[in-house]
Amino acid sequence: MRRGAWLGLLIPLVLAVAWELAVRHGLASGRLMPPPSRLAQTARALSRSGELQTHVLATTQRVGLGFAIGAVAGTVLAMLNGASGLALRLLDPSVQALRAIPSIAWVPLFILWLGIFETSKLALIALGVFFPVYLGLLTAIQSVDRKLIEVGRVFGLSRTEIALRVTWPAVMPAWIAALRTGLGLGFMFVVAAELMGASEGLGYLLLDGQQMGRADTILVAMIVFAVLGKTADSLLVAASRPVLRWQDTHRLRL
Amino acid sequence: MSALLVRGLGKTYADDTEALRGVDVHVGEGEIVAILGGSGCGKTTLLRLIAGLDEASAGTIAVTGENTVISAAFQEPRLLPWLTAGANIAFGGRRLGAAERRDRTQSLLRRIGLAGYGKRWPRELSGGQQQRVAIARALIGHPGVLLLDEPFSALDTFTRASLHDLLLDLWRELQPTVQMVTHDIEEAVVLADRIVVMRPHPGRVQETLRVGLPRPRDRLAPEFDLVKRTALRAVNRSPAPPPEPHRTGPGVSPWL
Ligand SMILES: Nc1ncnc2c1ncn2[C@@H]1O[C@H](COP(=O)(O)OP(=O)(O)OP(=O)(O)O)[C@@H](O)[C@H]1O
Ligand SMILES: [Mg+2]
Repeated sequence: MRRGAWLGLLIPLVLAVAWELAVRHGLASGRLMPPPSRLAQTARALSRSGELQTHVLATTQRVGLGFAIGAVAGTVLAMLNGASGLALRLLDPSVQALRAIPSIAWVPLFILWLGIFETSKLALIALGVFFPVYLGLLTAIQSVDRKLIEVGRVFGLSRTEIALRVTWPAVMPAWIAALRTGLGLGFMFVVAAELMGASEGLGYLLLDGQQMGRADTILVAMIVFAVLGKTADSLLVAASRPVLRWQDTHRLRL
Repeated sequence: MSALLVRGLGKTYADDTEALRGVDVHVGEGEIVAILGGSGCGKTTLLRLIAGLDEASAGTIAVTGENTVISAAFQEPRLLPWLTAGANIAFGGRRLGAAERRDRTQSLLRRIGLAGYGKRWPRELSGGQQQRVAIARALIGHPGVLLLDEPFSALDTFTRASLHDLLLDLWRELQPTVQMVTHDIEEAVVLADRIVVMRPHPGRVQETLRVGLPRPRDRLAPEFDLVKRTALRAVNRSPAPPPEPHRTGPGVSPWL
């Protein structure tokens, strides 16, 4: 870990210890805001019964599948519209119009069309992931330096070869950034999807905690969300590191 | 070996700027011809048309001979930032087989004095080193015709002189036909067999000078100076571009 990273942990740690002590010494009841030890207990209980694992698995699967569908669709459509002016003029206005609709507004229609089970949830997550990936990649393709494209043309590359060997590597950093944004939105929409009715998943755990008046359950679910989201993002970044090495050196040198 | 023949070339851009009118240029086999002219007289436009990056409005461009492969180096290095120096050179040699491409990349890296630098990213090279890589990239694929658009203009005098020598060495070895563009008279006299002086608005050929000095050329020799002065006179005969319309406005002092 980098040198400054520990500094970032200071405030949360101090707050957690302070809260723990306050509740122990009877300065606060800790009913609405349970102390760290209670959260640890709850988490242990949830995981011993296997409940937590079930919820984490369900949520991870939903985000994973929804993200995959949305990211592939966004990437393919952006590539198509970036490659063909005709496709761009034909399709992009419609996509932009749909983008103007807040994704959550689709929920009633998805439920009506696809039922309240998995399909409508996946559709919502995929939709949330789709737009940032599409927009990020398309913008990047459209702003690739013309001078680099010309290098490809001067050396006799075909259109396909230019797309693969010049445009694609040039948009790689922006694509990864768009995927990360998309992944973040995927987690946002999985909560929305699970809150609208599910029998398992971390969103369900949130709702369950609310209905049972268990702030500790809610907080445990929130913390697990944070860990999952951060882990997924780190995996994505780690996977992209080898292909972005040329840029990395640049960043280090700045 | 190959020759380049440009006949009656005209180019009018979409905004009605007439950049070239009736340009004739002939570059014989293995010859180096320098286009000399002030800013805006259509030099880059001419090279872009020859390279096939833009469509001519009139006239013809023909490359004759057994090797019609054209390649180019631009005013900026234009290296692909995601490829190492070696891979950038290899990028120019796509038509070669893998083994030959690898060998030629290594030998070119040596020839341009960057033998240990093949694995470096473009960002880790100096401007002059990048420009050398760009020239190697232009040469790896055995081009019949090499186009150079002021490839040394961004470099300091020392680097420029050493790159002139390097270019001439590589040219002797590989014998491409070279069409280059410059606004540096000395550069034209050092490198070229013939100098084509252009005049602007619209860009056309004013006159062609034969340099006729034996190589290697001594920049300090009196004959060199003589040719330089002849070229300078020719350039001066070509009218200067019209002055920029005088603007005054907020933030612009009328005294400047
Ligand atoms: N894409 C374009 N669209 C419209 N006009 C252009 C375009 N490119 C160049 N021109 C015009 O054509 C003329 C010739 O430009 P060109 O770039 O060929 O000049 P140049 O001789 O290379 O100048 P320099 O020495 O400054 O590079 C200029 O008047 C320029 O404004
Ligand atoms: Mg130019």
